[in-house]
Amino acid sequence: MSALQKSLHPDEKYKAGKLGQSLSRIGLVIALVFLAISVLLGWTKGDHFKRFLFAYVIGWSYIFSICVGVFWLVMLHHLVRGRWATVVRRIAEAMSMAFPVVFVSGLVFVIPLVAGYHDLYYWAHPDAALCLEPAAAACKEYLNPTLLHKLGWLSPGFFAGRYVVYGVLYSAMAAYFTKKSRQQDETGDPKLSEDMRVASGPAMIVYALITCFAAFDVLMSMAPKWYSTIYGVNFWGSACVGGFAALGLVVLGIQRTGRLTHSISPEHYHDIGKWMFAFTFFWAYTAFSQFMLQWYGNMPEETVWYKYRLFGEWQWVSIAMLVGFWAFPFVFLMSRWTKRIVPSLVFFAVWQLVFHWLDLYWNVMPSYDWLTLAHGSASVSQGPLAGAVLEHRVGFSPIDITVWLGLIGVLLAGIGRNLRGNLLPIKDPTLGLSLAHENL
Amino acid sequence: MSDERTPGSPSGAGARSGANEHDDRRDGPLYGLLAEYDTPGELVEAARKVRDAGYTEFDCYSPFPVHGIDEAMGIKRTILPVLIFLGGFAGTCGGLLLQWWCNAYNWPWNISGKPVWSIPANVPIGFETTILLAVFTSFFGMWIANKLPQVWHPFFRNERFNHVTDDAFLLGIEARDRRFDAEATPRLLSEAGAISVERVHLDPDPATRQMPKWITAFIVASTAFALIPFAIAAKARTSHSPDPHIHIFPDMDFQPKYKSDTAMDLFGDGRENRGEISGTVARGSLGADDTFYRGIERGADGDHWTTKFPQQLEINEQLIKRGKNRFEIYCSPCHGYDGRGMGAIPQRVAASGGAWQARNLVDAGNPVAINMPNGQLFNTISNGYNTMMGYAAQIPHADRWAIVLYVRALQRSQNASLDDIPPDHRSGMQMPEATP
Repeated sequence: MSALQKSLHPDEKYKAGKLGQSLSRIGLVIALVFLAISVLLGWTKGDHFKRFLFAYVIGWSYIFSICVGVFWLVMLHHLVRGRWATVVRRIAEAMSMAFPVVFVSGLVFVIPLVAGYHDLYYWAHPDAALCLEPAAAACKEYLNPTLLHKLGWLSPGFFAGRYVVYGVLYSAMAAYFTKKSRQQDETGDPKLSEDMRVASGPAMIVYALITCFAAFDVLMSMAPKWYSTIYGVNFWGSACVGGFAALGLVVLGIQRTGRLTHSISPEHYHDIGKWMFAFTFFWAYTAFSQFMLQWYGNMPEETVWYKYRLFGEWQWVSIAMLVGFWAFPFVFLMSRWTKRIVPSLVFFAVWQLVFHWLDLYWNVMPSYDWLTLAHGSASVSQGPLAGAVLEHRVGFSPIDITVWLGLIGVLLAGIGRNLRGNLLPIKDPTLGLSLAHENL
Repeated sequence: MSDERTPGSPSGAGARSGANEHDDRRDGPLYGLLAEYDTPGELVEAARKVRDAGYTEFDCYSPFPVHGIDEAMGIKRTILPVLIFLGGFAGTCGGLLLQWWCNAYNWPWNISGKPVWSIPANVPIGFETTILLAVFTSFFGMWIANKLPQVWHPFFRNERFNHVTDDAFLLGIEARDRRFDAEATPRLLSEAGAISVERVHLDPDPATRQMPKWITAFIVASTAFALIPFAIAAKARTSHSPDPHIHIFPDMDFQPKYKSDTAMDLFGDGRENRGEISGTVARGSLGADDTFYRGIERGADGDHWTTKFPQQLEINEQLIKRGKNRFEIYCSPCHGYDGRGMGAIPQRVAASGGAWQARNLVDAGNPVAINMPNGQLFNTISNGYNTMMGYAAQIPHADRWAIVLYVRALQRSQNASLDDIPPDHRSGMQMPEATP
């Protein structure tokens, strides 16, 4: 019926109880098992864990991006005085509160970097530093003219420093909104909503900047000579697809335990689906913007990044991205019904979560191949690029999957840590509106 | 008027008040019943009851969209989304077709050797046309589906209806509904909780229900008038005329001013151009140094092209780089970056089936440019050579010398052997590939 307000269903189970603890335990087991397998697999490769660390950066970016996506919803909800999302906001808050755990797990690749490990990021390689010395004039002229002036920014110590700053800022912002929200559960003070609304504006600006820079540092610096100013925005689009898909699945998982069954309806899933749809297109829009400008400009230092991805085996991954991450979900999520029928939405959420991972893989892994080729292949000196590109391999490895699953376990453990107390902001002034939410 | 509302009365006449009395005197046939409800919730409930009673010719009126009203009234979901999708899809196909027809089929045009038909380049336009047609379908489809624009409705005669854009929630049933009954229908509406039920009559004069004739005439006339430009354009495409062009703004087409190289009676030589006055030099235009400004050395044995560089210039790496920069801007389109005469323009000539190339500046086999003294190269840049035009107007003197210097560097490097490279640099010649 068409009431604008609704009150909480008397039988509603909105207490987390043991839910968080069991989720954390499951997550921890998954993390330990799969990361142990991954370390074993990485060790057997005998490449000083290079393959393991590449897979780890992809997996870490994955769980980081999911937190980035859901945290955006929390801030946006306050910023625009949203209504529909009040019933899922506590869950989104709990997911964004995984930031500290996520950033601690990232130390696995940051600490080796600081300790002098240089196979992961090319710019940390002695060759990159060698070009700073006057003796290697040829290197300076030919190999690294565009890298030279970036080595100040891309130094291991500065990188690690920025990493800590990002981690602290994300965690502090997520903690602020969660803390105020839980405070409101006790006092019911509507002024707390106002406080969060005022804070969400500046928080959004800080968030936008550090998300961009984190994407530049962790992902774009994999190919340090290449650059794209829209890269961070593109990463954010992909992150929000992953974030909303993950939010839908977590909400469904919680409902399966018998909690929140009366409060969260297909109307709310519909809205989660709308965001997923919107960001699916947004990702494609920014990805194409990045591609088209570089394709049209046709400058070697820019197109080389695409040359590694659009030829040889990688072209099939690129086509899979175009069809799987954009065309298919775009066409089918357009309909009202694919978003309202929960099993269909779940299908697309899982689908997009897989392709979101492939997106990150597509961004990172060509750099792994390139390093191997640049140092080991004889055909490299023959002409610009051509010989090397044809040899390019996608090189899927089981370690990619095990690291990915292990880090999903870390994320689940991080989420579970904060699924406690009320799963609904029970005294939020907009809760009634959210419960009665209907899409016209 | 709203404060005079009274609870519903099936008889109708008793409930009316104020301005409606004026209409009572000249009521025509009954159009329908208009019931008012206090809240959106009651309106939805009433709509459900009316639908359950089997009525089809009724509608609800509210100041804002009411959740659930479509379902309560038994209105089917609109097919507009499907139409919008098809409209958008037609926009995608139409946009791509337009670009293919223009660029690749009807008028293929070679732009810097880029392909005439290339999907990535066509995506932005395809995207725009998709949005355009989807939005058009959405906007005009909504008007058509809602039977808009509707400038007049019988309920407008009812004073209460004026509040529908403010605070009134109304339900109207038309008398033409086959279940309509003068007794039962008002009772149904009242039992559903109406705070008033009123009978609304059409105006007794049928002419007031017609569109005024002058509006029809205006629409027809303005439509015909709007077609005139198209008709003229269509006629012009299929006919010939000896008449001169029509000048809509003659004072812009024929401006009272003189352009260079036109005739003018005012001066004795009949020319508009005024040359330099003999015996004078413009400020900064003296150019007394023949070597620097003309590349000529004057000697006892006559004038000859200089083989050196003017003493004003310091020959260093910076000057070579300046020369490279200028060379790549002004010279490379024809002579190529390597000076071998196959720049972008000769390549384009070759691509379109012709055969022409610029002078090979570095060819040791036909060393015309290699054997030219510096001064002659400078003079060539300044004043041109065969079909090459002079660049004196575009490139300052010092820059022309920098280009000469760079051409000398090119001539040397393009004919270099390994011996020209210092031994300590030879190991670096096996360069790795360009990296991302």
